[in-house]
Amino acid sequence: MMIPSNRNKVIVIGGGIHGCATAYFLAKRGQTVTVVEKDHIARHASGVNAGGVRTLGRDLAEIPLSLASMDLWKKLHSEIGVYAQAFHPSFYLKVAIDEEGYALGSARAEALKHAGYNHEFWLDASDVQDRLPKLTTPTYGGFLVEGDGWARPWLIVRGFAQGARQYGAEIIEKCNVFGLELRQNCWYLKTDKGVFEADYVVNCAGAWAADLAFQSGEPKAPLSAYAPMLAVTESKPPILPAVIGVLGHTLSLKQLDTGQFVIGGGVRASANLSENSGEVVLPELRESMQLAARLFSDISNAQIIRCWSGIEGYMPDNLPIIGHGKQPGLIHGFGFSAHGFQLGPAVGEVLADLVMGQQPRVPLDAFRPDRF
Amino acid sequence: MKTNFDLVIIGAGPAGMSAAIHASKFDMKTLVLDDQFAVGGQVYRHILQNNNNRTDLPFLDEDYWSGHNLAHEFSCSSAQLRPESRVWQITKNKEVFFTQKGKAHCVQAKAILIATGAMERPMPVKGWTLPGVMSVGAAQILLKTAQSGTDGAVFAGSGPLFYLAIQQYLRAGFEIKAVIDTSPKKIPLMGYILTIPALLQPNLLFKGARWRAEIRKKPFYFSEVKSVRINGKDFAESLCFTDVEGRKQTISTSHIFIHQGVIPNINLTMATELEHRWCGRQLCWKPKVDMFGESSIDGIFIAGDSLGVFGAEAAVFSGKIAIQRIAANAKRSAAIKTLVLCLYRWRQLAIRPFLDYLFKPPEDWLLPDDDTTVICRCESLSKADISNAIELGVSGPNQLKSFCRAGMGRCQGRLCGLTIQKMIANHHGQSEDKVGYFRLRPPIRPLTVLELATLSNDDPV
Ligand SMILES: Cc1cc2nc3c(=O)[nH]c(=O)nc-3n(C[C@H](O)[C@H](O)[C@H](O)COP(=O)(O)OP(=O)(O)OC[C@H]3O[C@@H](n4cnc5c(N)ncnc54)[C@H](O)[C@@H]3O)c2cc1C
Repeated sequence: MMIPSNRNKVIVIGGGIHGCATAYFLAKRGQTVTVVEKDHIARHASGVNAGGVRTLGRDLAEIPLSLASMDLWKKLHSEIGVYAQAFHPSFYLKVAIDEEGYALGSARAEALKHAGYNHEFWLDASDVQDRLPKLTTPTYGGFLVEGDGWARPWLIVRGFAQGARQYGAEIIEKCNVFGLELRQNCWYLKTDKGVFEADYVVNCAGAWAADLAFQSGEPKAPLSAYAPMLAVTESKPPILPAVIGVLGHTLSLKQLDTGQFVIGGGVRASANLSENSGEVVLPELRESMQLAARLFSDISNAQIIRCWSGIEGYMPDNLPIIGHGKQPGLIHGFGFSAHGFQLGPAVGEVLADLVMGQQPRVPLDAFRPDRF
Repeated sequence: MKTNFDLVIIGAGPAGMSAAIHASKFDMKTLVLDDQFAVGGQVYRHILQNNNNRTDLPFLDEDYWSGHNLAHEFSCSSAQLRPESRVWQITKNKEVFFTQKGKAHCVQAKAILIATGAMERPMPVKGWTLPGVMSVGAAQILLKTAQSGTDGAVFAGSGPLFYLAIQQYLRAGFEIKAVIDTSPKKIPLMGYILTIPALLQPNLLFKGARWRAEIRKKPFYFSEVKSVRINGKDFAESLCFTDVEGRKQTISTSHIFIHQGVIPNINLTMATELEHRWCGRQLCWKPKVDMFGESSIDGIFIAGDSLGVFGAEAAVFSGKIAIQRIAANAKRSAAIKTLVLCLYRWRQLAIRPFLDYLFKPPEDWLLPDDDTTVICRCESLSKADISNAIELGVSGPNQLKSFCRAGMGRCQGRLCGLTIQKMIANHHGQSEDKVGYFRLRPPIRPLTVLELATLSNDDPV
């Protein structure tokens, strides 16, 4: 086999949502892009996540990026065509079911108001009940965001990958990058499929990104890998029009168009980066199941048919790293701490901005790689 | 606190029962979990209940009744049996999670023995999903547990269990419309060579030969058939095939029992992330174990047909061997005894190469040539649906899930996993070994949201 012609302007490492969206926007703007992925597109977090597309409940620092991303989700069809049908907008409700949750809600309402955001709307208990007629536990009210929803993650990533290809990007799967080095203004990537050269490297290697950056000479980022878990049930008649969260508790709950419930919410098992594997310890999802059954008693008798986990990189402050590395031409986008799927489209745009030397469209200060 | 056991055995067939009997001789505190309501497993299904009216059950032979001694000894042993318990997860720390009667429990084991037996190989022949079509194993269970059967059925396929079930059906007085045998008419030379080691198990060899000869004499018997298809609109109406002379034949029937051998049931061992290897002879995955049955995780043992299909007698020995080893690890037993048991077990394996050779499933039962045949029953995907997805650039079964949802239903790949693995291997010209199987995850048996929600760690078991 011929080794591909090795001079590329930009190489994106990692074929998850962030890598593929970055490649898409770069290619669309006429750049020469190659994505190298050690497994296959969307093999990890980006393909197996809960598909929650939510602006609700974001860290204040993350809200501008999340809202910018939501604008892209809303017109996704014009970017990735039919694949955009994998996004199902509805509404997201994060309810308070105890005093603590209510207190968290009030504090957040205050903070949002202070910062000038009004996309999250507080509903009182009776409005919550109206919105969720099948709810079987009293609430203290909850936050609502109209237009949030869920998506089939794998199809969205595939949409960006196909889009990138259509604009001329090359996507190389089963190609692990095991060495990354800067010599005379040129980056050399040692891979399973030969040495690649690039002017710019975008590091979207997910949970593996910090090790890769470190061995190229970057400071060690405090990234840890875990495997958040999800469970899916058999199909049941539709009872749940929205994606549900609970203030102060670990639950994320939705009902797919197939009638299946997806239940999770941040409970994480251990991950093994070198073996590409995440553990599944079903009993740890017990509290999420208790909440789901309590909120909607109709869910109690649904049979759990499958459980899985995906490998995700977490930062100590739960905010991603997005920005220039210490060495010229190296740009990082990782550490999304289990809420990066919704951010994907906007992250793709801002990483493309950074590569092209343009002012990113949203402030990235909170995500500086050197903040630790 | 979780209840502690020296040993938890999963499965109360011959391997599990013999292990439990043996364990109680070493004073191990033992819990036995089985999803049936009584002991016996597949071979000795319903043995304690049936024993009370032996005379009414002439179709069950000595081999079956020999299970009664085992079951009886088991009931007298100190092992605690929890019937109707579905194990859905084992952790590396040897916690065992299961549901029984709508309640989930957890126990802590020092050692675990997985003896969950075998299951029938997926048999995706055209029409296999039509109502009226059933596996031979399922038909046999109905016969054993409820003496229920039907006149006018057609048996199609091959394998030792195939002949046994036909024998039982006939002896129970049911009229069989046809037996459609896919195995070769004459035993090829290689088969004769393989009978030499099989002579170590003369009883099995001769009994098998006798059954086969008896069935072959019947007017309704067709040998070496090819291209079996089941037709029907809403239910099975007829079965057609090509006979040994190359003529097309059609038999009308609404009851069809199909079988193409059994393979280890690997859902639990795979979901526990034990190492497995592909066995080209039996065309199935087997957990990797040492000579005592210990898996890649210390203290998790496997016995019986979940190790590879070797039959009930070998299962009894493998159960004992595992216990002997567990006891040795806990300094309770003598090594020499273990070795003797290993030799006994080894003798019980002698006939297998011959049987595996003779009853190797034909290619078109492993992979139908008809494109509309359903492969993944849970998601209703035909062979064409799956081929199309593979052509989009799928390199393995797990990636295929995202392309077309194959294997994502409640059977967790039991009915399509091997077929899909083979399709991908054929497409890429790779070995099945390399392509690999679905990544299986707990729960290996469905449990309800409420059962998991009410799981408590400290209920006494
Ligand atoms: C179970 C689960 C549920 C989640 N639920 C949600 C949710 O509801 N909403 C939400 O917004 N977010 C959610 N997330 C988070 C979201 O999935 C992730 O933040 C996001 O997908 C991260 O995308 P990524 O592209 O950065 O990483 P990844 O998807 O992990 O992609 C990184 C890729 O880089 C490749 N790679 C790594 N090292 C190398 C190398 N050396 N050479 C070549 N390639 C390499 C990897 O193979 C991988 O494919 C969830 C995550 C999980 C695991």
